[in-house]
Amino acid sequence: MRKIPFWRQIFTQLAFILIGAFVLLPVWSTARLAFDGSLIGRPTEFRFTPKEFSLDAFLKVLDKPYQSVQFEILFKNSMIVSLGAALLAMILGASLAYAFSRFRFPGRQPGLFILLLAAILPPIAFTTPLYIVLSILKIRTTLLGLTIVYATFAMPFCIWNMRAAFQSVPKELEEAAFLDGAGNFTTFLWITLPLALPSIAIASIIAFLMAYSEFAIGWLFVEKASTVTLAMSIYAIVQTQYLGGAQPWSYLGSLAIIMSIPAILIFIIFQRTLLDRMMFGVSGE
Amino acid sequence: MNRFRVPFRILAVLIVTAIAWGLRARAVNLLPIDYDEDDYLRAGQESAHLIRTSDWRGFLDTNYRPEHPPLAKIIIGVSILSAPEKPLTPDAPTTAGPNQYLPRDLVKPARTVNAAFGILTVFFLSLVNPLGGLMLAAHTFTIKYVSQIMLEAFPALTSLLMVMSYLQWKKGKRSGLNGWLILSSFFFGLTAASKYLYCVVGIAVLVDWYLTAKQDASLKSFFRNALIWSALAVLIFFAFDPYLWPDPIDRLKESILYHAAYSENASEVQSANFPLWQPFVWLTMSPAIWHDGVFPVAPDLFITIFAAFGLARLWKKERVYVLWLGLALFFLLLWPTKWPQYIVTLTAPLSLAAAEGVMATWEGIVLWWKGRKNKPAVQYKKVEIRNVIPWLVPGLIAFALLTLLPLLFQFAVSLTDFNTASIRDGFQGGIWHAVWGGITGQIRAMPLSFSDRSNKVQYTGLGSYFPVLNFLANDGVLVFNVLWTILSVLLQTGLGLGIALLLWQRGVRFGKFWQAMFILPWAIPEMIGALMWLNIFQPESGWLALAVKTYGPNIPFGFFAGWENTPNLWLIVFLIPAIWYGFPFMMLASSAGLKMIPTEVFDAAAIDGANIWQTLRYVTWPLLLPLLIPAIIIRSIFAFNQFYLFQAFYFQDSTLATLSYNVFNPNNGFGRYGGQFAISAVINIITVIILVGFVMLFNRWSKAGEGVSYA
Repeated sequence: MRKIPFWRQIFTQLAFILIGAFVLLPVWSTARLAFDGSLIGRPTEFRFTPKEFSLDAFLKVLDKPYQSVQFEILFKNSMIVSLGAALLAMILGASLAYAFSRFRFPGRQPGLFILLLAAILPPIAFTTPLYIVLSILKIRTTLLGLTIVYATFAMPFCIWNMRAAFQSVPKELEEAAFLDGAGNFTTFLWITLPLALPSIAIASIIAFLMAYSEFAIGWLFVEKASTVTLAMSIYAIVQTQYLGGAQPWSYLGSLAIIMSIPAILIFIIFQRTLLDRMMFGVSGE
Repeated sequence: MNRFRVPFRILAVLIVTAIAWGLRARAVNLLPIDYDEDDYLRAGQESAHLIRTSDWRGFLDTNYRPEHPPLAKIIIGVSILSAPEKPLTPDAPTTAGPNQYLPRDLVKPARTVNAAFGILTVFFLSLVNPLGGLMLAAHTFTIKYVSQIMLEAFPALTSLLMVMSYLQWKKGKRSGLNGWLILSSFFFGLTAASKYLYCVVGIAVLVDWYLTAKQDASLKSFFRNALIWSALAVLIFFAFDPYLWPDPIDRLKESILYHAAYSENASEVQSANFPLWQPFVWLTMSPAIWHDGVFPVAPDLFITIFAAFGLARLWKKERVYVLWLGLALFFLLLWPTKWPQYIVTLTAPLSLAAAEGVMATWEGIVLWWKGRKNKPAVQYKKVEIRNVIPWLVPGLIAFALLTLLPLLFQFAVSLTDFNTASIRDGFQGGIWHAVWGGITGQIRAMPLSFSDRSNKVQYTGLGSYFPVLNFLANDGVLVFNVLWTILSVLLQTGLGLGIALLLWQRGVRFGKFWQAMFILPWAIPEMIGALMWLNIFQPESGWLALAVKTYGPNIPFGFFAGWENTPNLWLIVFLIPAIWYGFPFMMLASSAGLKMIPTEVFDAAAIDGANIWQTLRYVTWPLLLPLLIPAIIIRSIFAFNQFYLFQAFYFQDSTLATLSYNVFNPNNGFGRYGGQFAISAVINIITVIILVGFVMLFNRWSKAGEGVSYA
């Protein structure tokens, strides 16, 4: 294998350093605030590094980031809602996805069209009606209500993805199971589902992240501080901050960093498969 | 059938001309006096006076508003000759508001003559394509500015005639000068002597001419003929611009320099603060909202949409019109002054393109209709249908409840005036009640009103759609959203692909490290990424604002300070986080695509002696593009729907954002009255319609994608 000439190596590395600076710039602009112990409200002078390095903001945020709600509660809410939404979307969507991947029936083509359309609609499209339906059911301001909202956002995407996952399971395997006398459901449960599970897991991770980082719409479904999620608490801090609130900007920075860590880990581990799933399972594998 | 073609065409031309006549006559009578009409009426009065007193020498030194050449103004003067002489309209600065006291008996003939040129333009255009003529006849911006005392009507006509006579020449032998070519340069001269801006059309003709000559390998005669053509046009321009005769160089320089200075310094240009892309906004909106009841129909937005789809067809049919449209648009985008009347320079080719777009759509529908019959009916197995039912039913119930019902509900809300005042009634079934009553005809549709809010939900029918479309067009939301989608995807793809290509070179050091680092923005939730950028761009305490405060505005990127007040910088500032967030996806997609291209292809290219650029251009790019298209479509949908970025950048009362953002914040567009759920719903439905287009693209690609595999 012939290596690239020296000048191209230099050029490439220089380009990467520039792009790296672009990538890290906003991260650093947040970190320099998060680690600054001297901030009382908004920053008032230009500094490249924190004036007084301190972890106070992190400790404060890990204790009570928003009003008087404890971090554990926010984190717990986030987890309940996000995991719940991902699971709900998967369970509710699985049978439809399987029907569309394995059977031919009248109305299949228009059905696929509607499925895809629903999968690419912005979540806001579903907001107002859900608000009313959940109000009528009297669960609008509960965590269950929020879970249903996020499950709704994620479900079309999950159906589309699971359909692709089921399709990639070889049909011959199912036919072999049929020959051995297994029914439709048995075959699905013991053959197709386990084989498609890895791809489904990745799709559900995406659904999880969707709910994990959603804030604006969820905010409409919250009345009590005890049902606020992490993402919403960040947004609440933003709102008070830019409306002239007195909280130091370091809180926002540190909470943002804390919140990104799990997402970053997930992405670094699963990058290639995540990419494929986000392309609705149709990239050329 | 062929026997009727000619009479039918003549009939079509006549009908279209009659429509143009009716619409323009209406506008002449009903339009209120606009900016600048007093200026040009005064210029016309001066000319009329000179003609009346036979003071022909006076034309050498009379040209009120000398920044525009005098021909169109002299025509206004001729048009008011038969009217009684009135005292000269007072001189007013360009910043002055419309003068409502202009004498009606002067305004009427001056406007009528301008409108007559407008009708003639439609007539000639409908000779090219009657449907295109119809589009131009109904285009409200064109109607407005050719039916007022402006300088647009005459050059709009002559520039079209210039192109048409050039095309006549082109259709013929193309060799040498003949009558058509001379006629074309004559009209070019007249155009230049009326308004400089319309000379862009001449450039389009020259470009087309050059391309044709290159095809025919007759470049030599092109240069000779084009030179004669241009020289003749200059002569005619000079002949019809008597004001230039005494002192050609200085007066020409003065009039041209005026425009450059005006665009830089004039206070009305400054305070209008139009973004670079404002011409697009003019093209999607209609002056119908300024002048209630003047225009029976306002199809401008649809003309523009159809034109976008018809460009390719028009190019195949007659390239010069597309060149005209493109060059004029390009010029208007670059030129800092962005008055709405400037788009009259390009509405003729725009209408032709729209006609092609309509034809393409029509043919597509016909083709689909025919193909639908020919398709063999799919035979479904009874067993399969029976088997699918237990799978479909539970899923469908969930899907219908959580997805379809909300969408249906949105549609229902969009037919009402549901808002915070009627929230209680809406919760108790008022929406269904209103919609049911409306659809079955028991309730009459109420006009949408924001000030008079009832506590009952009222049926408005499709009545909210037009105000909302108007708002989206006037505030530039639609244009912004489209521009945003195109620019952000283009830049993300460029950066992502560039990095992927760099990483793909053999033996790049630290490749794994760099790739892991570049994935970072993708992994950070969008809203947090947006907040991180907000820490930089926040107008008062952001990093940038503080740096400018400390070190003055001359630091690198210091020009961004105050971006929130300049629409152009506003777009850039939002694009930066969008690129930051989106490029990793494109980088990974490109890397994945590059890995799928077999290496033998590159070995072959190397053996053939291709250099880096040739390999990239002729081997890598064509092989990679089909693999990238899915990713590009996904990113486009995402960019089109982008919401959290705009929501996290905490700006209230701004509408320069995507449709999604305006769904969530409908009050921004509709002022003081909060909680306009109905408006949200309408924007939502519009979004759905646009996304249906995307899904069609998506479907076509996924079918095409099945045939593509290199692995």
